[in-house]
Amino acid sequence: MGEKKKWYKLDFGSKTKESAASSCGCGKTSGGCGSHQGPPPQKDEYTITADEFDKAVEGTMVGETRKDGFQQVFDVKMDRRTAFRKLTASLLIGAGAVQTSCSVVAGEETKEKAQIDWEEQFKGNYKLMTQEERNATVDRLVRSYQLRKKENIKMSSTDASKDVLFGYAFNISKCQGYMDCVSACVEENNQDRNSEMQYIRIHEMKDGNGFKFDEADDNYYHEVPAEGHFYMGTQCFHCDDPPCVDVCPVQATWREEDGLVVVDYDWCIGCRYCMAACPYDGRRFNWSKPEVPEEQVNKNQHYLGNRMRKKGVMEKCTFCIQRSRSGKDPACVEACPTGARIFGNLLDPDSTIRWVLENKKVFRLKEDLGTDPKFWYFMD
Amino acid sequence: MNKLKITAFFLFGCLLINCKHKEGEYHDVIEKIEAESKKYHDILMSSEAYIGDIETIEITEGDHTFLIPERKGQIKSYACIECHSKPLSDMQDDTPTRKAHWDIKVNHADENAMNCVTCHNGNDMNHLKSLTGREIDFNLSYKLCSQCHTSQFQDWKGGAHGKNIGGWAKPRAAMTCVNCHNPHQPQIESRWPVQFNSQKARERE
Repeated sequence: MGEKKKWYKLDFGSKTKESAASSCGCGKTSGGCGSHQGPPPQKDEYTITADEFDKAVEGTMVGETRKDGFQQVFDVKMDRRTAFRKLTASLLIGAGAVQTSCSVVAGEETKEKAQIDWEEQFKGNYKLMTQEERNATVDRLVRSYQLRKKENIKMSSTDASKDVLFGYAFNISKCQGYMDCVSACVEENNQDRNSEMQYIRIHEMKDGNGFKFDEADDNYYHEVPAEGHFYMGTQCFHCDDPPCVDVCPVQATWREEDGLVVVDYDWCIGCRYCMAACPYDGRRFNWSKPEVPEEQVNKNQHYLGNRMRKKGVMEKCTFCIQRSRSGKDPACVEACPTGARIFGNLLDPDSTIRWVLENKKVFRLKEDLGTDPKFWYFMD
Repeated sequence: MNKLKITAFFLFGCLLINCKHKEGEYHDVIEKIEAESKKYHDILMSSEAYIGDIETIEITEGDHTFLIPERKGQIKSYACIECHSKPLSDMQDDTPTRKAHWDIKVNHADENAMNCVTCHNGNDMNHLKSLTGREIDFNLSYKLCSQCHTSQFQDWKGGAHGKNIGGWAKPRAAMTCVNCHNPHQPQIESRWPVQFNSQKARERE
């Protein structure tokens, strides 16, 4: 344990067999544990099977207090009940993990899973991680997926580039309400298929009435464009002064340097303050465990973007961070057959988004709130 | 009295400091864009890979230089003179057989304004022709459209009309007019939305 880490590292012997005995997860300095060479291990008083262990982990993972690092857990004032809950949750994982790691019955894979779950349990807030720590958690998540689903995913943790500030423009006169963007977004971002979660809403509004969201229909199904109507889309506007970020009690959501407002799904406690604070209905909550059929999972993922979420966390549009950070258009822009969606770098004076802002009559939704959304509407 | 003065001064100072936006420098995003784009350096990122298999050509119109898809290679029966080897009058006959280009119907403006020869030249089928009879390459067919649709042309050049290809970074690539609009029937047909959210419908019952 030479390197400095923000969490306590438990060694189950699957990775560093040759390291000092004191770093063994079972706490013993000799024998009795699978990770030591030497005398045969003691008979386990109770054995936990891999399935039971997984279930226990699963169970504790849903608990709303699980995502704190050690420091935060112990430095925080809390009542007895919460303290007990936290302790039980962590103990269960710990006990299970130690049990599994020390068991001679459990396979290498189970041990590795336990090791990953342990380290994931006590990792820090993504914002505070060093680049190595970020890479490590990405590697763990990729490996975990591989162990559990037997499929390989590609996950990145690409940072914001200098001199980039993402912005979006939406042409109200061009949108025809086909909803290709909505479908493309769901496929790209691995949203829960059971609850049919969607980041984008296309509102069908009556001509001449202005923006009346209470009278608009965002779930129409008839031939479009319908006569006497126009269409406008809403999604997360990536405000430059985002109220959702201000209200988050655990700083699980923040504004990145390139203007993207992102969520760390492993730090979110699911309080939904941000959902209430957002004036644009831009955020979505996972009321149930999100499920995507394996063959439909988009395997090109980003830590802050479309990686698989879990029950009880917030998520939202990230302007397809896994695409936009590598120079690609978001899925909605690519899917739109009308060219109503324009995306680009606001700081580049030659970009098309800048041309739109400078040459068309643009406006933003609820501009008076001062949230400074980076999503402009315009007309031909 | 002196204490009061100092306190007032201190409070005023605090106000001065707090007047600016939380992050420090700018009042709003517009101000930030204006200021920060002054010191903008071209980023290293490229979107070239995302253009994919599309064959492109570079065009320069006014202040804008960008890529558009090459067209001639996409027209199945190009070059036209492979069939149009004789003048049109010699090729037309009145026998009721299936004619070439039977599927093309012109529904673009009205007959007073447009017919086939507004854009095609019977004596030079391999090229399009402008209103004044000048030759226009099939690859640059937007020059034909822009003769009438001037405002759309302005928007297209700037990037407000038409569809971007691939990515937001450089090089910029955009669809040209005929990639979305059928030049013979440029109106885009209405259709059904690609999806319906049954869960949302159920929840709102």
